[in-house]
Amino acid sequence: MSTFRRAQSQAHPNKTSTLMLAIIVLLILNVTIQIWLLYSGLNNALAHNSGIAFPAFIASLVIFIINCWLLYYLPRSRQ
Amino acid sequence: MSDNNEKYPDWKNDFPISQSETTSVTRRQFAKFLCLVSGGLATGSAFVAAKSVLSPDKKIKGAHRVCSITELPVGGTRSFVLEGSTTPYILIHLENGEFKAYEQKCTHLSCAVFYKPGSGKIECPCHNGWFDAMTGEVLQGPPPRPLPRLDVQVKGNDIFVAAAKEEA
Repeated sequence: MSTFRRAQSQAHPNKTSTLMLAIIVLLILNVTIQIWLLYSGLNNALAHNSGIAFPAFIASLVIFIINCWLLYYLPRSRQ
Repeated sequence: MSDNNEKYPDWKNDFPISQSETTSVTRRQFAKFLCLVSGGLATGSAFVAAKSVLSPDKKIKGAHRVCSITELPVGGTRSFVLEGSTTPYILIHLENGEFKAYEQKCTHLSCAVFYKPGSGKIECPCHNGWFDAMTGEVLQGPPPRPLPRLDVQVKGNDIFVAAAKEEA
């Protein structure tokens, strides 16, 4: 018996691919922001400007949690 | 090469992983790897934050004698380290008669910097970075920050260095 979800997947075989690509693009974007946060936090800490490091860490942690949350929406692998 | 009907040898049953699985990375695996990198970057940021909050740089206390004036000719430099520290510094006798002391580590990638006599500039030979010998400011190249400076005091025939006063 066909379900709605199965019918949808069969009707739009490219949907999984689009979703996967969108998630990977978001992850790359988030990792880029995290690299920038680490760079600016470290550079400011070395310049005796330690006020930046802690907010940069909090932002980086929030982005990491968002990335983990995005993994939940990865399409299931084809059996 | 191999016939499908042929029975697999025993060693293949012991390692039931096809070659394509070992050489190709699926998009799922790549996404998970990106998440792992993200966790690593967050950990790195945590380390930087913890280090800057928990162990701030020690302030240099008091004045330290480096050498006597006669030991340092005009245009000459002398490297030194302060007691209880491993940070290298250089004392420079500029052509205008002033003495300046800076950390000898380039602010780019910590290469040793050298004073170029007669030019009024400090050079980092690694990536062609240049600093102003009067102020320590970056003149050219990749260094992101000025060289950390020490105050120099001349007392009698001796040269002393002390922590630089904070500028407003």
